[in-house]
Amino acid sequence: MNLATSFWTWFGAFLTFCIFSFLYKDNPFYKFAEHLFVGVSVGYSISISYHNVLYPDLIVPLFRNGELLNLVPLIFGLCYFTRFLPKVSWLVRLPMGLVLGFGAGAAIPAVIQASIIKQVQGAILTPDVFKRFDLTVWALISLIGVICTVTYFFFSRERGKVTKVMADLGIIFLMVGFGASFGYTVMARISLLIGRFQFLLRDWLGVIK
Amino acid sequence: MQRQIPLILCLIFGIFMIVQFFVPHPYSQRAYEVVLRWVRIISIFALVLGVGSLVLYHSNKIKRKVSGWGFSIVTLVSAIITTLVGLLGVNWLDGKLVFFKGIGKSSVLQIFFQNIFVPVNSTMFAMLAFYMASAAYRAFRARTKEATLLLIAAFFVMLGMVPIGSAISPRLPEFAEWILSVPNLAAKRGILFGIALGGIATSLKIILGIERGWLGGGK
Amino acid sequence: MRVFEALAKIDRKIIFLILAVVIIVPLIKPIGLISKASTRAKAVFDAVESIPPGKPLMISIDFDPGSMPELYPMLLAILRHAFARDVKVIVLGLWLTGMGLGEQALTTVASEYSKKYGVDYVFLGWRSGVLPVVLGMGEDIKKTFPTDYYGTPLESLAMMSNIRNYRDIPFFISLSAGDPGMNTWIAYAQARYGLKMGAGTTAVSAADAYPYLQTGQLTGLLGGMKGAAEYEFLVKERGYSKEISQATQAMDSQSLAHLLILILIVLGNIGYLFIRKQTKKLGGAR
Repeated sequence: MNLATSFWTWFGAFLTFCIFSFLYKDNPFYKFAEHLFVGVSVGYSISISYHNVLYPDLIVPLFRNGELLNLVPLIFGLCYFTRFLPKVSWLVRLPMGLVLGFGAGAAIPAVIQASIIKQVQGAILTPDVFKRFDLTVWALISLIGVICTVTYFFFSRERGKVTKVMADLGIIFLMVGFGASFGYTVMARISLLIGRFQFLLRDWLGVIK
Repeated sequence: MQRQIPLILCLIFGIFMIVQFFVPHPYSQRAYEVVLRWVRIISIFALVLGVGSLVLYHSNKIKRKVSGWGFSIVTLVSAIITTLVGLLGVNWLDGKLVFFKGIGKSSVLQIFFQNIFVPVNSTMFAMLAFYMASAAYRAFRARTKEATLLLIAAFFVMLGMVPIGSAISPRLPEFAEWILSVPNLAAKRGILFGIALGGIATSLKIILGIERGWLGGGK
Repeated sequence: MRVFEALAKIDRKIIFLILAVVIIVPLIKPIGLISKASTRAKAVFDAVESIPPGKPLMISIDFDPGSMPELYPMLLAILRHAFARDVKVIVLGLWLTGMGLGEQALTTVASEYSKKYGVDYVFLGWRSGVLPVVLGMGEDIKKTFPTDYYGTPLESLAMMSNIRNYRDIPFFISLSAGDPGMNTWIAYAQARYGLKMGAGTTAVSAADAYPYLQTGQLTGLLGGMKGAAEYEFLVKERGYSKEISQATQAMDSQSLAHLLILILIVLGNIGYLFIRKQTKKLGGAR
């Protein structure tokens, strides 16, 4: 055993236990750690935003280099403050409109390219998959699965006999997919817990390397 | 005007981004780079909304002495201290505090991050493992054939994806990998198509001003 | 019969305790289960291995401490791999709250390999807006990041003199815990600019990456802590690092915890089936 000597490691361990104490029930220790975390994260976000964005991207170019075009994003950005001034609070919609329009416009071609064209290319049967029997079967199952899953999500018309069978098959694929995701989710949550125990046993208590 | 101008801005920038994708002319390219820069700078101010709301919420709690107002003091004081040490670039060097030295490894901001932010944030997520174990035991039941299928797939992925799976049988990881790369792939691709089509439709509605939820209430 | 009823009603605090024991004991007394590399992890490793020394590998920290145990060991292992091969490294992030982790990892690993800042590696830090960052870097990295994380102008860093945009990046890895992350890079950098990329994801989103792996949009995948352990295995096998591997160390606990969860599901279901049978019987008697 090689107990930590640093104050900060002890404080980290204390906060870890404060949060874990919620497993028993909500209590002041948990609340303290939670509120401290919120405060620190706000301060951290403001600091990084200032050092990584505001200072190098706005203050230096505008006030030191005199690049006046930067006044435009500054004015739009300042409109966010009007959110807290009831008389002119509508001005907050200006930067929101600009950013939303930009995001939506950028998303359309990107999504068509990455999630539709490429995925259709991946789903269709190319000569390569016919080179080996097992690959052919798996590719066929995948293709059927994709079509049936999409059919399941098609709610615009009442299902006929064929589309009902396809949608039912789609559910089977979806359930296997969700099962796979659940299996992986278990893995994720356990990993996070192991990580905390590694901190307590290694950094704080020093019983493992 | 209070609604029209934001909608027009949204339309202009939305159409510009679509057109620019297909027309990489030097002029459009230059305008594109300017727009990227503007949006990057404007986005940072959105932080104001979050920080402003949080400060208002906690200061109101303190003013009205609502139950738990003491914890609001913890939040505000820690936020002020962290902001100050961050903005002033306070560093812990050779056993003393020095100012304007940035946010590198010896900065107090980094010390706060590693010893307050990291333990609390990661423990909050780590706790989910306990609740998940309890929920898996209580709620994960083979009630229907669909649930049974989900359970079987989860069983093989859970076992096949960790070293003990291959220790039991080398076939287990292979089967888990098959589940992931054949039926799971088909389901996820189907969902991806749905999300993509939905995303495109929503984006178009936003650009054309059909979807106006973001404008909020009022005039 | 009471056994079955008891099985359906184990107190949750007992479950909490058993789970904690199942995780702690193998950390102290390891069983030594080996986590060999999957083809997905090998593909990421090979892509980093194929970067010529002197050329850059770019890594994006798209996670925060909430997913640290899964993705941070990946970051360490990939950095060790790159530095051992004299590959230059550019680190940035789309998650503001992940920046401290980037600083921590680079400081730790760079000192292990005596690497010099600005010559062997650069930490770009974070910029707001996500899309303008990912799209902007496709045009010009120095215009998107005029300065690095510490405020040093990129123009003054020797390593960045020959790097303009994605065309100069042979391989990129997004260590992603959600959105923005892997999906963002695939849609805006891979599809539009042809950036060759791999991903390290939390296990939660690993299953969602398979459509992208099949189309080749992703070269390879590290899924969760197991993916990190696989990468650590490859880095150690090639002799690139002798450091204690956090993810590998965790695999015994991970395996036993999975077994426990499976046992709990089985027990819960046995109890459930028994109670359902009893209820049906009682219903029939009435």
